[in-house]
Amino acid sequence: MSLLFLLIIGIIFFVLLIFILSPEYGLISIIRRMKKEQTRELIEDALKHLYDCEYNRVDCSLSSISGNLSLSKNKTAEVIIKLEAMNLISSGENKISLTSEGRSYALRIVRIHRLLERYLADHTSIQETEWHNIAEAKEHETSEEEARKLAAQLGNPLLDPHGDPIPSESGEIPSRKGIQLNKLENGKFASIIHIEDEPKEVYSQFSALGLYPGMQIYLVENSKEKIRFEADGEECILAPILASNITVVPILEKEQVKESFKKLSSLKQDESAIVVGISKAMRGQQRRRLLDFGVVPGTIVRAQLKSLSGDPTAYDIRGAMIALRKNQSDLIYIKRI
Amino acid sequence: MNKTEEILSTANKLRWEVGENIHDSILESIYKEASNIAGQVVTRTGEKPKFDLDRFIDRLVTGKWTGFPIMLILLAVVFWITIVGANIPSGWISFLLVDSIHPWLKQLLVSLQIPWWINGIVVDGAYLAVAWVVSVMLPPMAIFFPMFTLLEDFGYLPRVAFNMDNLYRRVGAHGKQALTMSMGFGCNAAGVIATRIIDSPREKIIAIITNNFSLCNGRWPTQILIATIFIGGAVPPYLAGVVSAAAVVAIAVLGVVFSLVVSWGLSKTVLKGEPSAFSLELPPYRPPRLLQTLYTSLIDRTIFVLWRAVVFAVPAGVVIWLVANIRIGNLSFAEHFIHWVDPAALFIGLNGVIFLAYIIAIPANEIVIPTILMLTALTTRIAASAGAGVMFELDSAADTAAMLEAGGWTVLTGINLMLFSLLHNPCSTTIYTIYKETKSIKWTMISTFLPIAMGLIICFLITQIWRVIA
Amino acid sequence: MTIDNQNCATCPAHNLANLVKLGIDMSNFDYVVALAGNPNTGKSTVFNSLTGLKQHTGNWPGKTVGRTEGGFQYAEKRFKIVDLPGTYSLLSTSDDEEVARDFILFGQPDVTVIVVDATRLERNLNLVLQVLEITDRAVLCVNLIDEAARHKIYVDDRALSKSLGIPVVPTAARQGIGIQELLRNIHDVATGKYICKPHRLSSEIKNVSNAVDELNKKISKAFPHLPNTRWIALRLLEGDQKVIDSVRSGEIGNLKPVENFDE
Repeated sequence: MSLLFLLIIGIIFFVLLIFILSPEYGLISIIRRMKKEQTRELIEDALKHLYDCEYNRVDCSLSSISGNLSLSKNKTAEVIIKLEAMNLISSGENKISLTSEGRSYALRIVRIHRLLERYLADHTSIQETEWHNIAEAKEHETSEEEARKLAAQLGNPLLDPHGDPIPSESGEIPSRKGIQLNKLENGKFASIIHIEDEPKEVYSQFSALGLYPGMQIYLVENSKEKIRFEADGEECILAPILASNITVVPILEKEQVKESFKKLSSLKQDESAIVVGISKAMRGQQRRRLLDFGVVPGTIVRAQLKSLSGDPTAYDIRGAMIALRKNQSDLIYIKRI
Repeated sequence: MNKTEEILSTANKLRWEVGENIHDSILESIYKEASNIAGQVVTRTGEKPKFDLDRFIDRLVTGKWTGFPIMLILLAVVFWITIVGANIPSGWISFLLVDSIHPWLKQLLVSLQIPWWINGIVVDGAYLAVAWVVSVMLPPMAIFFPMFTLLEDFGYLPRVAFNMDNLYRRVGAHGKQALTMSMGFGCNAAGVIATRIIDSPREKIIAIITNNFSLCNGRWPTQILIATIFIGGAVPPYLAGVVSAAAVVAIAVLGVVFSLVVSWGLSKTVLKGEPSAFSLELPPYRPPRLLQTLYTSLIDRTIFVLWRAVVFAVPAGVVIWLVANIRIGNLSFAEHFIHWVDPAALFIGLNGVIFLAYIIAIPANEIVIPTILMLTALTTRIAASAGAGVMFELDSAADTAAMLEAGGWTVLTGINLMLFSLLHNPCSTTIYTIYKETKSIKWTMISTFLPIAMGLIICFLITQIWRVIA
Repeated sequence: MTIDNQNCATCPAHNLANLVKLGIDMSNFDYVVALAGNPNTGKSTVFNSLTGLKQHTGNWPGKTVGRTEGGFQYAEKRFKIVDLPGTYSLLSTSDDEEVARDFILFGQPDVTVIVVDATRLERNLNLVLQVLEITDRAVLCVNLIDEAARHKIYVDDRALSKSLGIPVVPTAARQGIGIQELLRNIHDVATGKYICKPHRLSSEIKNVSNAVDELNKKISKAFPHLPNTRWIALRLLEGDQKVIDSVRSGEIGNLKPVENFDE
């Protein structure tokens, strides 16, 4: 009978585990949400928000903080008083700004957050839309020592996957460049340098459109109702309010790419083409692997063999036969010869 | 500021100017140079031949209509030669080690006046377990691995991975898993070692954990024997052969299905956070060299795996003998344990003998049936030819059937044993190999307990359904 | 450590202290040879024919895992040969590439033999050019010439040797062709009989050249004897932690200067 007993205990244990670990209603996440009210996280989140305001050169108020932290005004006021007492912020009338100590605290958190995002993007197969939330949860429990190790492991990256600069250990960060997409003029070429990852709903729209930092765009139409632009040869339409979440830098005439590129996946069997670029959406180990195989701008590739189920396809790349899946060859841009 | 710190801070400053694309730029210029140099020194003489053999073979093995038949035929031939070809040397080795040397050794120790229990532990326990493992394991591996290696050296196997990748991509795995899985049909430990060819961390762990769902060569005899007795026995005699063969194949196919489903589940859950990078290079075809292949695959794969199995078989043989021969009161330790777990085991459609057999025969699936027979003889008090508490096998399926039915086995027990033989923990050799390859206790534990949990649950469900229907 | 070049052209050039740190016992050997190469170029076969060992080598990219060592004797000198993991590059962050890179950079082997596939020379040159950025003592083994001939591909080894500045030996290791020649060249480079003038990347790297030059000047000033400052500069610009650490600790300065000619 005892094994049946064990089985039942096992099942109970399993149910209990679900009860504890379930992401939305599980015990751990409830406790976590309760913990969120704890001061440290609130303080750090508030500092980060203030820093964001400062970086984007907008003013911060009590209500914007309470909105960002989804906290009642009263609670927010308590946090602000605490921050002031710790000499991390100074508040004037209607404007709250960081002290230098507050700024370096904020930069520390920002650094950890962006390193974590970069790690998730390059070293895991976790979905793009989840990066921010995971980093948000982990940034408060990552020590500086761990951040240093992480940075070393990642090869001391400069930017996070959204194109934001990662502050150095001593808190250096370059100043903001570029303009918002809705301020770009008609008929201009530009390249995306930053995509805001909050709010999540908006970001997931961008990621569904396949937009990424480093992408070249061509603005077709900029009106009050909509922003219409071509991105890697495909047309996208965004509302101006959404477009303001994307930062771009105009590209000089000589760097412009006149024609829209084709994707490697469009190459038919026995056709050849020249690689002109690899999408920035190809990241981390996967990107390095491709570069090592010699997939760099200027390389001639030839579609040689299709798998019997149609995917992957083997390409002749510098004398070697390399099989690429369609989701990989979609991210390599080519020019027909 | 000292010189080195100055260098580093200059570097940091410059990095912001240079930007993130430096890695790409460096490789771009290296390749530019490489292609310049190669352009100067490499010459291709003559016209491209009209008939390019490599291309022709490639077209054939990845063709829509030819690819699958070729793959299935080649695999079928490999398995057929393995199964048919292994029987004969297996018989010889078994005759030599089990039927001839075993009694002789036993006699020798008796004549040397060695106490009976030492004789039992050493000869009936350790020696017999090793003899069994060697005779059942060695011949199929010595045939299967060289053939597989030949296909590998020729360059065909990467094409199989290429063809199968679409399917495996959908479940979050790598096309090369098709190969490690096929290797697992020979031996799971060898299959796990073969996962080294998968260079993406997530896909490699998936391939390791799911390798156990390939019915390894130690489990085929169990499947065939039980199918013959219980499935074949349940249908009219003229159908028996076909139906029991179909049942065995069904189990193997079920294993493949499980491996895909579990791969999918793993990639969506526990392995979500592991990095993944697909790459597959199709090497040129190379004429394989027979002798070298034979030599190296024997040394690298067969002897290597066999050695690990033998190392585990020795203590297991001792334990098997001890549990059957140590008596507490009137009954042996084994009988106590069997009676104790029987209710639970019967509840999920197995029995205590099977449970105990799978626990003590963990070193090798090959000795599960001999252990089951020995334990059944023990509990039913049927005198066994080899003596009480000694592993044995019967010459005919009919005798085995009679023995098992005396032990209370039904068709349901048979079906469940077939399922449980597919879905239980890997043998200790494989578990050890998994640990060696992953260096992670976590993945080793998951690989060990996931299939056993699945096996228990599925047997339980089958039993409940059976009882409702029957 | 003396920087007396002229007197000791035949002396071993390897960095004994670092080799010991890397786990290489040199007590019975005169020279240490590193074996690098892309996966599936027959590197292990070359290793086997040099040492007489038998290791299985499948037709798969990336079969050898970890590091294998062996030894051989030639012209009364004892060589230790270390088979590095097969890699496509030394720039990426995988463990294998780090093992290979560290061995060549810090171990400073007397000779680095780079095995390339004659049928895929262009792609293989990626690794060759990277190795030549790090070390001055290398021999190129153009393997699988039999297979290349089957595909009507011929590699002009003399022209290649000229443009790379190192000895180039065509081999078909499976048939044992060219192995004696390879042994002789390894010996010649190790003993200083052949002086390599390795090819260094000349073409401009997009948007990077100025930064490299600026950094390069600083590094050469701080470490005047370092053989490969330009490469170090590139690594620093890429944020390579291992190189950053070794610059910070000054360990990079312990690498031996190149003999025979100044950088």
